[in-house]
Amino acid sequence: MRECSGSKATAVRGRGSPAQDSPLDWFDKMIDNCLEYATAARERGRPVVGIMCEYAPRELVMAAGGVPVCLCGGSAKTIPAAEEHLPANLCPLIKSTYGYHLLRTNPFLEMADLVVAETTCDGKKKMFELMAESRPIYVMELPQKQDDPHAFEHWVFELHKLRAELEERFGVEVTDESIRGAVGVMNRERSLRRRLAELMKADAPPITGLQVLSLKSSISGIPADLEQYERAIRMYGGLSRNGDMSSRVRVLLTGVPTVYGAERVIEIVENHGGLVVCMENCTGLKPIIEDVDPDADDVIRALAGKYFRIHCAVMTRNSRRIECLRKLAAEYRAECIIDLVWQACVTYDIESYHVRKLARHELRLPYLHIETDYSPSDSARIAVRVEALFETARGSRSKAS
Amino acid sequence: MIAAGIDAGSRAIKVVLIDGESVGVVASGTLPQGVKNDDLAQELFDRLLSDSGLTRQDVARIVATGYGRNGISIADATITEITCHARGVRHLLPDARTIVEIGGQDSKLLRLNPDGTVYDFAMNDRCAAGTGRFLEVVADRLEVDLHELGEMAARSKRPAAISSMCIVFAETEIIGLLASGAAPEDVVAGVQRSIVTRISSMVGRTLTPPVVFTGGVALVSGMERALESVLGERVTIPPEPHLTGALGAALLAARQ
Repeated sequence: MRECSGSKATAVRGRGSPAQDSPLDWFDKMIDNCLEYATAARERGRPVVGIMCEYAPRELVMAAGGVPVCLCGGSAKTIPAAEEHLPANLCPLIKSTYGYHLLRTNPFLEMADLVVAETTCDGKKKMFELMAESRPIYVMELPQKQDDPHAFEHWVFELHKLRAELEERFGVEVTDESIRGAVGVMNRERSLRRRLAELMKADAPPITGLQVLSLKSSISGIPADLEQYERAIRMYGGLSRNGDMSSRVRVLLTGVPTVYGAERVIEIVENHGGLVVCMENCTGLKPIIEDVDPDADDVIRALAGKYFRIHCAVMTRNSRRIECLRKLAAEYRAECIIDLVWQACVTYDIESYHVRKLARHELRLPYLHIETDYSPSDSARIAVRVEALFETARGSRSKAS
Repeated sequence: MIAAGIDAGSRAIKVVLIDGESVGVVASGTLPQGVKNDDLAQELFDRLLSDSGLTRQDVARIVATGYGRNGISIADATITEITCHARGVRHLLPDARTIVEIGGQDSKLLRLNPDGTVYDFAMNDRCAAGTGRFLEVVADRLEVDLHELGEMAARSKRPAAISSMCIVFAETEIIGLLASGAAPEDVVAGVQRSIVTRISSMVGRTLTPPVVFTGGVALVSGMERALESVLGERVTIPPEPHLTGALGAALLAARQ
């Protein structure tokens, strides 16, 4: 069983949560569900394809009959093993993932017939070289000038190459029709997850940010998951919590992904009077904001367009992130912005300059930059800063009223 | 009506009692931090009350702050040291726009709005270099009292360069410097400079005066001058700068 350093299952059950067999219960068993699904799919001859980034176009993997599964590591426990090969001063997400690889303790990586890697950041790019010594890895080259038409053409070409790679490796034909079918599934999943996120727009949201985060899956497109998303929207959509939720400070979280097992900072925020009403990061809205037109003449181009517009800090200039934050801060009525950066994530760390400027000078919202890793050693100190941020935010609340 | 502030810091516990109406300080005191944080705080609290002819019944509200604030069982509420320091300083020096606070294991930079509320803050994260602990280490090593450090530093002609980013390695570096014949006063001046340099990197290029220097380290002579030289700005130390957190907590207790 995959290890997990988070205590999600027990931490989120607040007063008023639906008791048995709720969608939250279903996603508490997410890893087991995915394992069962991937194992069964593999027995029927479907390949399992690991991905480690939201830029990896899941639709192509699905159109090739594959099961795309996210391999991002969220456990601190695998990091010491990774540091045998990788520098200590590196992003914990990369180290954790690589630790699972060395220890062979991520069942999804162990059953993966292929890992689709990409050149999103230098840390991952070089880590994949090490991983490729013993595993089948295919690297997509992600161009980084988001508004450059030539860069986009290059990305379209990368998608064509991935399609050919999948066809050859798995001996299948990836037809436009099968891609359109996968686009339909992914559009549905994205739109359901968007609607779940939008529940947090309420004055007194029905669930916590940590619960929203838990309502997702390492494998996309599992029919049972999609049904549970729909149930969750029905069940929680009509629900409104009393006083408690509306008195909490509304937090817009941006920055790095908080992958399965690495929810610590969100737990700290929500245990100290905050409510994460919006997650702009890759485990939140960022990759699901845009859909793909399944009827586009050139479905590969349509797919490439959606993925290329994901506003990761590796892009230059990454003005879409700032536009998105501006919009989300207003829509979700954020009272402060927390910008989370994993240790040694140079691109997000530097880009904090722009986010801080937006928060301070334009949105006039209290802003907190947190740089940390997966070790709990600084939890108490993060809590002090988070509490002080909320005291400041509440101060502006009382000034306004 | 009496309001109380308890600042359970990493190296000392501070208590301030104020009159809720006049907001004048009724009593204040300090005890070194120990194992039983809560007991020590109550001991000090009760001593201050009886010295002032008061009892616990006279105290309307208690706010605890500081690193150990959640362990103070008699507190009615806890508020972070960020908000409390800002509140304490605003009371003493209402014009302040920047606060540098250096405590036992903490260093902080607070930027304030014109009305004295917190606009932005930075703190040391995972490391105690650049805090009072560093001064204790050097005083220990040189077998001198903390309060002699300022005079020693003033005699320094060539402050030693302390480059270690880590307090443990810095101690090794100090031993090395002394072994190679560096004058103790140069080592002290070097340590003081190293602490304020850490602060100046938190400040960056934008510093709005007036700057107020608080925390126990502001009591150590020589630190004020060292801070002024790296910030290039005059620095004001309020009376009893180690008590601003507890004072702020008491003022916030009186308000609620």
